[in-house]
Amino acid sequence: MEFAWTAEQQAYRSHVRGALDDLLPDDWDSHYAPQGYGSADQINFSREFCPKLAERGLLVRHWPAQWGGESADPWEQFILAEEMKWRGEPRGPQYMNVNWLGPVLMKYGTPEQQNEHLGRIRRGEVIWCQGYSEPGAGTDLAALQTRAEPKGNGYVVNGQKIWTSYSRLADFCFLLARTGPGRKDISIFLVPMNTPGIEVKPFPGLVGEGHLNEVFFTDVEVPGSARVGEEGKAWDIITYALSFERVGIPRYHVGKKLLDKAIAQLAHEGRGDDPIIKARVGRIVAKFEAARLLTYVVVDQRAKGAGPSVDANISRITASEACTDLTNFLMEYVPDCLTTGDPVLREFHRGNIAATIAAGTYELQLNLIARGALDLPRGN
Amino acid sequence: MDMELTGEQRLLVDAVETLGARWQTMPPGHERDYAHYEANLQFALADGGFLRAGLDMGMLEAALVAIEVSRLPVVTSVGASALVSAALTGDVPAGPIAIVSGDWHKAQRMLSVANHAIVLRDDRALLLDLADVAIEPVGSVYAYPYGRFVAEPDWAAAIPVGDAATLRQWARVAIACEAAGATQAAIALTVDHVKQRFAFGRAIGSYQAVQHRLAQCHQIARAMRFLALHAAWSGDATGADVAATYAQDHVNKLAFDLHQFSGGMGVTCEYQLHFFTYRLRALQGEFGGADGAATGVFDRLWSSAA
Repeated sequence: MEFAWTAEQQAYRSHVRGALDDLLPDDWDSHYAPQGYGSADQINFSREFCPKLAERGLLVRHWPAQWGGESADPWEQFILAEEMKWRGEPRGPQYMNVNWLGPVLMKYGTPEQQNEHLGRIRRGEVIWCQGYSEPGAGTDLAALQTRAEPKGNGYVVNGQKIWTSYSRLADFCFLLARTGPGRKDISIFLVPMNTPGIEVKPFPGLVGEGHLNEVFFTDVEVPGSARVGEEGKAWDIITYALSFERVGIPRYHVGKKLLDKAIAQLAHEGRGDDPIIKARVGRIVAKFEAARLLTYVVVDQRAKGAGPSVDANISRITASEACTDLTNFLMEYVPDCLTTGDPVLREFHRGNIAATIAAGTYELQLNLIARGALDLPRGN
Repeated sequence: MDMELTGEQRLLVDAVETLGARWQTMPPGHERDYAHYEANLQFALADGGFLRAGLDMGMLEAALVAIEVSRLPVVTSVGASALVSAALTGDVPAGPIAIVSGDWHKAQRMLSVANHAIVLRDDRALLLDLADVAIEPVGSVYAYPYGRFVAEPDWAAAIPVGDAATLRQWARVAIACEAAGATQAAIALTVDHVKQRFAFGRAIGSYQAVQHRLAQCHQIARAMRFLALHAAWSGDATGADVAATYAQDHVNKLAFDLHQFSGGMGVTCEYQLHFFTYRLRALQGEFGGADGAATGVFDRLWSSAA
C-alpha cells in the first residue's frame, strides 16, 4: 500500500493543468462552467475543446495504441478526469465517449463499428447520448419496452426514451432496445440521431438546463450492422459499461473547491468562525476524502487488470452521500446559491439532485453491496 | 498509488492474525465481562515486535497492526502502544500505555492496566511512569478497562516527550484505527447473525430493510479503514482529523444498526457484539469527538476564513 503519487503522475497532473490554462477561454469560469455540461453552450464548446485536447494527446491517452492512445494506465485517466472536473468538465458529454463508450466498442464492437466510431471519438468531434431509461424503466433497465423488430437485414425501432441527456445535440445514440420476449432479450444499437423517425423533445427539470429530453423512435430503420454484440446479449455489455460510469466522474474532487466558495461567502457575511458551521463542514470534507480513497481502490483494481467489483458500488454511494451532504449544507447555510448567489454552487446543487438516481439508484447500489460484499441471502 | 497491501505488509497482517487467533473468543471465565484486557496478548505483541512496527517499518504498518488487533474481542493497548508511542521523542516504553487528557480525576481509558501514561497537559506531552502512582479501576459498560488517579500525580516527575498537538494527532489516528478494526468485527458478527436468525419464515438478512443498512455499515467500515491508513501513512494533522471525524461521526449509526439487527442477543453479555460496539462508544467522544475533530479539519483548511 502506497498513497503517494509518483513523480511522473505529479508531472502529468501539472501538464494537464497547464493545458487547461492554455485551452480554456477567459470567460470559461464565468460563462461556461456555471451552465453545466448538459447545456447547449458547453456541448458546443466541447466540439471545439476536445479536438484541441486530442491534438495535445490528452483526450484518449488511456486507450490502447491500436486505437490511437498511448496505453496510459487508469491512474492517468483519473488524474485527467479530476483536473477536468475541477475546472467544470470542459469535455462536456464527451467524457462519456472516452471513458466507457470507446472502451465498450473496443471490447464488443465489430471492426466496421470500431473503424466508424473510434476515430471520431478519438479526435473529439462527436457527441453521443445514452438511450437507456424509459418512462417505465429506469434502475430496472430490463423492463424497457422500446422494441427493435427484425426487418430485412436490419431492424425497425419503435419506442420512447426519457431523461436522455445531450440528445438534442447528439450525433449518435447508444440505444438499448428489446429484440425478444425474454426479460433480458435486449440488444444495443449505434444509431445516428439524424435517422428519420427520431424526435427529441426537451422538457424542463430541476437538474441543469438542457439535461432532460424525451426521445421518440417511430419506425426508425436501423441496419443490422449497427447492432453491438449478439442479438439479445446486451446485458454483459451494459454491466461492463455501467461499471465505468459509476466511478467515471470524480465528484469527490470538487468538494473542496465548492466549500471554498461557500466558506468565502460565509466569512464575508461574518459567519466564518461559527463553530456549528465548522463542525458541519469538517464532516463533509471527511466524506469527500472517504469517497476519494474508495474511488482510488477501484482505479487501482483497474490498473491491475481486475474486472468490475462491488468496490465500484461502494465508491459510488460514498461519493453520493458526500455530495448530498454538501447540497444539504448549501441549502441550510448558503440558501441564496439558488437565487442571487454563486452560479457554480447553484449548478452543483442542480446537478446533484439526481446524483443518487442516475446510473443505478443509491438503493440499487446497496442491493449490490449486500449481495457482492456481504453475501446476504435474496428475499423470496 | 497502490491500494493493496505489499507482500511485506500482508505478511505482517497475517502474522498478527495468527498471533491473535487464540483470542478470537473470550478466555474462559471472561465470556460475560464488559471488557477484558488480555495481558498475554499485550506481551505477545510486544515480544513479537509488533508494537515497534511504527518505529521499525512505518506508521502505516503500525496502523495495520492496530486495526488487526482491534478486530479481537479482547482488549490491548495497541493504538497507544503501537502508534502514539512511536511519535514520542526519546525512549519508548514497552507498554501497555494509556493516553491521559483532560481532568486528572476523571476516568481514563486503559489507565487501570497501563504501566505508563502519555499525558497531554496544555501544549506539552509528558510520559508518566505509573509504577508508584495509585490508580483505582473504574467500572463501566464500555469495552475498555478504565481507571483514575487516586490523587493528583506529581507531574514534575513526568518526562517531556513532545508537544501535545503532535501526540493528539496520533491519538486521533489511533482512535480511527481501533474504530476501524472494531467496526469490521462487529459487522462480521452481525452479518453472520442475520444469515442464521429467521423471522417470519425468512433469514432476517434477506429483508431489504436489513440489507440496505448493513451495506451502508460495510461502506462505512471500508471508508474508516482507508482513512485511518491514509492518515497514518501521511503523518498529516488534517488527515488525522479527517479519519477521526469520519470514524467518530459514524459510531451512532453503527451502534444502532448492529444492535438493532442482533436483537435481544445483542444486549446480552454472553454475545460478543458489545465488545466491539462499546469500544466504539468509548472512542466516540474522545478528544472532542467528531465535532472536535471536524473543527480541526476546518481550522486547518480554512484558517483565515474568519
